[in-house]
Amino acid sequence: MKLPILPTTMVGSYSMPGWLERLKTEYFARRISRADLDEIHDTAVKAAIKDQEIAGLDVVTDGELRRDNMIDYFVEKLPGVQVDRSSKKFYYDFYDSEVLGKIPMAALGLAEDFKFLLANTARDAKISITGPHSLTKRIRNKHYPSDEALATDIARVMNMELKELVKAGAKFIQIDEPYYSGFPEDITWGVKVLNMLVEGVQAKIAVHICYGNRYGKPSWEGSYRYLFPAILDAKVQQLSLEFARRGGEDLDLFREFKVPFELGAGVIDVKDQTVETADIVAERIRKTIKAVPAEKLFILPDCGLFHLPRDVAFAKLCVMVEGARIVRKELGQ
Amino acid sequence: MLARARGLSFGSNTVRNMILRLNHTKRDSAVATANEVVVSLLSLLEEGHLKPAEFARLQVQLDWLQYKQNFREAILIVQNGGQLTGGQLFEIRIDSRQVAPGSLHDALQKAVQPAIPEANPVSDRIYLEDFKSFRSSIAWEFNRLYWQRLKDWEQVTGKGYEQALPGGQSDGHRPEAIADSVENVWTLLKDLDTRNQLPSEVFALEIGVGMGTRVGLWLDRFRTLDQGHGTNYYPRLRFLLGDYSLSTLDRSRAAVENHIDLCSFIALDALDPIKTLSFLRHKILYVHSTNTYDNLPDDEVVWRDGRIYWVHVRSYVSAADAVRIAAACNFPVADIPKTVKRLLEVGAEALPDRDKGMIFWMEIWKALRREERLVNTLDLPDATFPAGLSIAHMEDILKNSPNDLRFQLSSGALESFRNTLPLLHPRGFLQVQDIFVTDLNDYRMGFHGPGKLDGSIVNAVNGALLREVAERSGYDVHFAPFAYRTGSKTSIMHTTRRE
Repeated sequence: MKLPILPTTMVGSYSMPGWLERLKTEYFARRISRADLDEIHDTAVKAAIKDQEIAGLDVVTDGELRRDNMIDYFVEKLPGVQVDRSSKKFYYDFYDSEVLGKIPMAALGLAEDFKFLLANTARDAKISITGPHSLTKRIRNKHYPSDEALATDIARVMNMELKELVKAGAKFIQIDEPYYSGFPEDITWGVKVLNMLVEGVQAKIAVHICYGNRYGKPSWEGSYRYLFPAILDAKVQQLSLEFARRGGEDLDLFREFKVPFELGAGVIDVKDQTVETADIVAERIRKTIKAVPAEKLFILPDCGLFHLPRDVAFAKLCVMVEGARIVRKELGQ
Repeated sequence: MLARARGLSFGSNTVRNMILRLNHTKRDSAVATANEVVVSLLSLLEEGHLKPAEFARLQVQLDWLQYKQNFREAILIVQNGGQLTGGQLFEIRIDSRQVAPGSLHDALQKAVQPAIPEANPVSDRIYLEDFKSFRSSIAWEFNRLYWQRLKDWEQVTGKGYEQALPGGQSDGHRPEAIADSVENVWTLLKDLDTRNQLPSEVFALEIGVGMGTRVGLWLDRFRTLDQGHGTNYYPRLRFLLGDYSLSTLDRSRAAVENHIDLCSFIALDALDPIKTLSFLRHKILYVHSTNTYDNLPDDEVVWRDGRIYWVHVRSYVSAADAVRIAAACNFPVADIPKTVKRLLEVGAEALPDRDKGMIFWMEIWKALRREERLVNTLDLPDATFPAGLSIAHMEDILKNSPNDLRFQLSSGALESFRNTLPLLHPRGFLQVQDIFVTDLNDYRMGFHGPGKLDGSIVNAVNGALLREVAERSGYDVHFAPFAYRTGSKTSIMHTTRRE
């Protein structure tokens, strides 16, 4: 499908229903079966896809509703990583995990998630993967000589997984690396590992870098200036950054460094339940176009909608789409 | 401790267990002993003042109320919202501090006649409201009036409100406590600086400023420390003094005069700081308050037999007090309810003679008592749990708690807490000094309010519940006893974002 100018999409996650959290707890208490839980997940994902379609998004995701959070879903699948399942008190918390030996090559099974998404939408689809740098920051490293070494091996395993995703039909893959913002000193090796991750992967690659969204709150504050110039070496096609909550000051960096990538511009504040108006969204897009040509822009929320109530998340997607339509019209599209 | 009077025979009935709770008493000051209670109740049973069916369901709670001024009679019958049916307990609470020696039998007899006051309303009380949740009670309107007309009250009593506090001054002013607080903030700034993440403006917020003394002392100390280290963070400070009373804010200016360029004075509702300060969402590095939560509207609930009951209250003054107060203020007793209403609207000017108005205010507040009734939450379709809590969450929290637990919901404190956390910078922290109950089990070990402190309400804060709500939202909460004054009952709650 040919995308319009200013295509709209989610960063990845959609609103996590409270009942899904409770049902997951029921599953761990062995009151519902794995088969039941799978069916519940399938149903929730279908509903998330439908909401995105109704809202009018051009590219949809599976809403990441099979994932407790952006870390555990991958950590649990990574071979050689030990997970302490007694270590978290609440659903959204992260497990304590550690790596005691070299991570072996193994499939992670993400292709099945993507196939399900493709089977349930006629729209363009995107899948998001948590990147090696962010995973490394949540796994206690008891084997590798450095975080970089651990991240490199995770990238090696996940590179194979990304290629499996491409085989399954993925044309647009997003790598989530919010922990860059918490550890700006890592950015040089972070980009190096990112490039290993996407080496030979025949798909459009975006890298999403925000300031954290754990429990719907930022984990860090600062400026995207730390990304430059290192990020310019990334072998990706798109940077996905948050601007709605933080303001558009860092858009100047795109002019200053003549950034070659597309920009996935966050124009919806996911840390505030107040629903923006379409006019506000349009104004944010106009401001972005002054720094990045419209032809190189994707329109997104700042981050995942995981922690927003469903009605708020849906309303935010609707105004985002409407805001993009307003600007498209102004551009004569 | 649970005492049971077992298997007593009375006529053709075999009387079952009576539950006598002694958890809240003090050994040295309990006038009403367990023995006196048992003997008195058995006498009432034998004399026919208490029915065997009621006796069989008796639960007697011996309290010792640490607040000399409070809302309780010596004997309180907690009603069950109507007829005593099924397995409902017949609950009597006794304030052993108020019971005069030798008076327990008569006091109990009076209280249990009738045992079901709804069916036979007590006539010696003048009610000022219908049954409702405590949060909505008229008592909180008195509390609001006190803070709005603090100067009036202070003029009459001849002492500032801080002098009414235990120790005669706010614990928040202790130099060692302030020094540690400043050290914590400075260390945080130093760490951010080292990581090249120090904001150009460092926002700090005090909620409930009192006389402004603490903020003034805090800024003095910060400047000294900063200059000593040569870090030059002081000029970056933007200290917001927030209070809902404009006159309080105005009064606090003098205390921060040496730092006035760094200070802003903001009228805000302690229940909803984010509403006023939304432009500082995720920007404030340090938020502090002292003895604010204990004075915010509150509800109480009871966890009993797997159900949550709301404690509904009805404020009244005794007929004897009403007659005395009306006589002192030169108006008919029947005018008490409408005069109270007027008082809460306009203050002491409710009476033509303002001095009499002040007397009326202080005396009616002193005489204010409340009846209590338990209502099953399921029977209250509009029962509103504070944001962040639902029946499902409450049941989840309480499922491993002991049965028959009565505790503060700390509705206002929870609301304030939830509406403050979004202001915190990702590395910021919230410090609240207050009288916290940090473990739900502690509610079985003592009385925790409400009481009266001058013209205001004082109430323990359910820190355990605050911690549960915060943890579910991604924050870590820790409590430390206030170590800067021997005998202090307060703790410091420290809240940060979970790493």
